Amino acid sequence: MAMLRNIKTKPKLDMNPMVDMAFLLVTFFMMTTTFRPELPEEVLIPPSSAEVKLPERNLATITITKNGMVFFGIDNKFDRRELLSMVGREMGVSFDESQLDTYSLTATSGVPMKKMGEFLNAKFAKVAFEQEGIPLRDDSELFYWIRNARAVNPSLRFAINADGKTKYPVIHDVFETLRELGVTRFNLVTEKTEEDVAKS
Amino acid sequence: MLPNLEELEVDRIHGRDDDARKKVKREVNVDMNPMVDLAFLLLTFFMLATTFSKPQAMEILVPAKAKDNAEVKETPVKESKTMSLVLKENEIVWYRGITEPETFEIDYRESALLEILAEANANTDGLVVLIKPLSSNEYEDLVLVLDVLSYSGVERYSLIEPSEFDLEMEE
Repeated sequence: MAMLRNIKTKPKLDMNPMVDMAFLLVTFFMMTTTFRPELPEEVLIPPSSAEVKLPERNLATITITKNGMVFFGIDNKFDRRELLSMVGREMGVSFDESQLDTYSLTATSGVPMKKMGEFLNAKFAKVAFEQEGIPLRDDSELFYWIRNARAVNPSLRFAINADGKTKYPVIHDVFETLRELGVTRFNLVTEKTEEDVAKS
Repeated sequence: MLPNLEELEVDRIHGRDDDARKKVKREVNVDMNPMVDLAFLLLTFFMLATTFSKPQAMEILVPAKAKDNAEVKETPVKESKTMSLVLKENEIVWYRGITEPETFEIDYRESALLEILAEANANTDGLVVLIKPLSSNEYEDLVLVLDVLSYSGVERYSLIEPSEFDLEMEE
């Protein structure tokens, strides 16, 4: 009887299980991950065997790229507005409502204060704004950012998220800035590795 | 639902018309292909835009900076109790004491570093390790040294400026 079957019927693949599996994977990723903060450059953090968990809240992150650009950001959206206005006041720059709104949605930024207005205006426009990092030498703006961040949130903890290949002088400047402000305890963000020189 | 052309063709051949077909209970064929495409698009989006939960961190303590007017209160440390690690770009130069020490070179990845530190810690009471990174040093090497230090049992260490003697080692 099989010989009489119409050979024109095309094989039909049942896609239902495939869809189920795909949605399962999507759900998995949705549950276990957090959005990666967008940075102009990828920062490759160095490995270490340290297992201290970074605090989830009350965290300020200082990101340093391998060519020495420094970025700063705090975790709390509501605190960010206050932070920006305070730093702006100290440096003689003012911001309007929409710029403050844009900043409150920015996880981390690295622009000198005089370019901050321009950066915030461009942020959701399609113009890509080159972030050049927060100035450290000459007039160290990072100092004002950190000081005001601590004023906004006294229980703020600091984490330094630097690329492994960054040369020491920039790291040194950041450490010194923190020391000057009395921050003597902070975290260095590293990646947990199994293979470890320390343990061998 | 898109008309199933095959069935229409078959019906036409057999001379069946609409009325007859309407009475027949037909099963619904939903084409799942776009649904799968959508699911994979979402999946790809999440895979690229997110990262697995927070990476680990290492705690570090630095000494507080003295205020301008206050005197710099430095706890004097006996020379013999110090061990300096000068971090160069590709290797570490270490020595004991401060004046005219005998220097040794060791590669960053060598496991001997841990042994050297542990040994020094064992036979020196109150050992203080002075870490002096040179400007050519890369951050990941500093992190590695701090990591090894945490396993060596050394209780006191500090990050300080390289001395003139150390600066001479920079190529």
